[in-house]
Amino acid sequence: MRVVVTGMGVVSPIGIGVDQFWSAAVNGVSGIKRITSFDASSRRSQIAGEVADFDPSTFLSQKYIEQTDRFTQLALLAARLALEDAGGLDAYESRRIGVSIGSGMGGFSTFESSALRKFRSQPVPPFTVPRTMANSAAAWIAIRHGFKGMNLTSSTACSSGANAIGAALDLLRAGRADVVVAGGAEACVLPLTINGFEILHALTTTSNDNPTGASRPFAKGRDGFVMGEGAGILILEKEEQARHRGAKIYAELAGYGQACDATHIVMPDMEGQIAAMQEAIRDAGMEPDSIEHINAHATSTPLGDTVETRAIKNLFGARAADIAISATKSMVGHSIGASAAIGSIATIMALHTGTIHPTINLDEADPECDLDYTPNVAQKRSVRTGLCNAFGFGGNNASILFTTLA
Amino acid sequence: MDTAEIEAKVIQFIATKVENLDASTINRSSKFEELGLDSMDTIQLLFDAEDAFGINFDSEEAKGFSTVGDIVSYIETHQPSAAPQ
Repeated sequence: MRVVVTGMGVVSPIGIGVDQFWSAAVNGVSGIKRITSFDASSRRSQIAGEVADFDPSTFLSQKYIEQTDRFTQLALLAARLALEDAGGLDAYESRRIGVSIGSGMGGFSTFESSALRKFRSQPVPPFTVPRTMANSAAAWIAIRHGFKGMNLTSSTACSSGANAIGAALDLLRAGRADVVVAGGAEACVLPLTINGFEILHALTTTSNDNPTGASRPFAKGRDGFVMGEGAGILILEKEEQARHRGAKIYAELAGYGQACDATHIVMPDMEGQIAAMQEAIRDAGMEPDSIEHINAHATSTPLGDTVETRAIKNLFGARAADIAISATKSMVGHSIGASAAIGSIATIMALHTGTIHPTINLDEADPECDLDYTPNVAQKRSVRTGLCNAFGFGGNNASILFTTLA
Repeated sequence: MDTAEIEAKVIQFIATKVENLDASTINRSSKFEELGLDSMDTIQLLFDAEDAFGINFDSEEAKGFSTVGDIVSYIETHQPSAAPQ
């Protein structure tokens, strides 16, 4: 049984909807700007990839807006776009439609604002808990569209979106659903959350006056990631049923691998990354030699990009140099639990269009990062297989493999 | 504010908070459920009303509210005394 992608929806700092997103990505447009959602002028990190033109009132009623956190609103828009792209799911019985969403922080925007009110002895808004809980995005997608099947949330930090898509593949294979709305959403350009990542020295602090040049995966002198936000949603169905209802098919979701480092809560570990990629390839019944493209996790941290490069070289050997790699985060920043869902859409579009989007801000690569990262300019390259990597705090490594159907 | 004034303001406020609800169809004896508000909607309405009317509902007392008139009466008896400008 094959699982295929029949719809995609994305809400990102470089565009809402796949067309806008992909056009910006191929042209190397950066969505990183100075933070506008709160006053960050006294912060060490003052920049982020925000979805600046996002207005929930264009598609949600006042009641929905009141009862939902921003991450849910981003997810609802991405889901709507994906469902439209898939031509709707009327062909399916509602109990057979699952939802699988990833989010690292969940409704932290609500948590931060409600906590602030509490500390100021102001009343706490009634929807604080239902807005904050990590599964609220998945729940609201179900409520909005009447999807009554399995409804799951993966909260595995930066790999949440990949785990959610992987879990969807498992559900379809196990026969627990006929179609799954899967992806990730995050809205954590927030004072406390940014502060928390600053304290860990995870964020870049040297490019506040040059936001578009701040996120520079694999580049010499990179000093941390840029916080991002957004959502990416895929519609995943069994190939036979997708064909039966006449759906257009973008790609096959062929494999999923997940491995835990079991070493350190935040430090990356090469062995776990290798194991995740290896498992995704094995799961698809393929060999490492057949991998032609990798959408790297590549957050622009000094250690992370080097370790991922080493993992790729270890797994693919001499062939590593032939793999077209690119880092979506160079343009959109790191949207934590949404990042692998957005990265998956970039991977699928690479397969679908035969174009690899560039890794921007890569004028001079770190000597330890010596692979083909598609620096600065998109490349025409017909690839048939693409891995999307996501490595998260908790030592969580996930890798998902998309292929063309031919 | 006198009772009529509070009542008019509360009705106007509810009409702005509830979609597709015409203020002319709301009166003092309207029950929240008749206005399409479930229990969570009502809690949210009271939360927003606190800001709008500059008062704090006692949560135990507010639990018993079921009509527009309950809000009006509460505001009437708890409205902040006129402070010097």
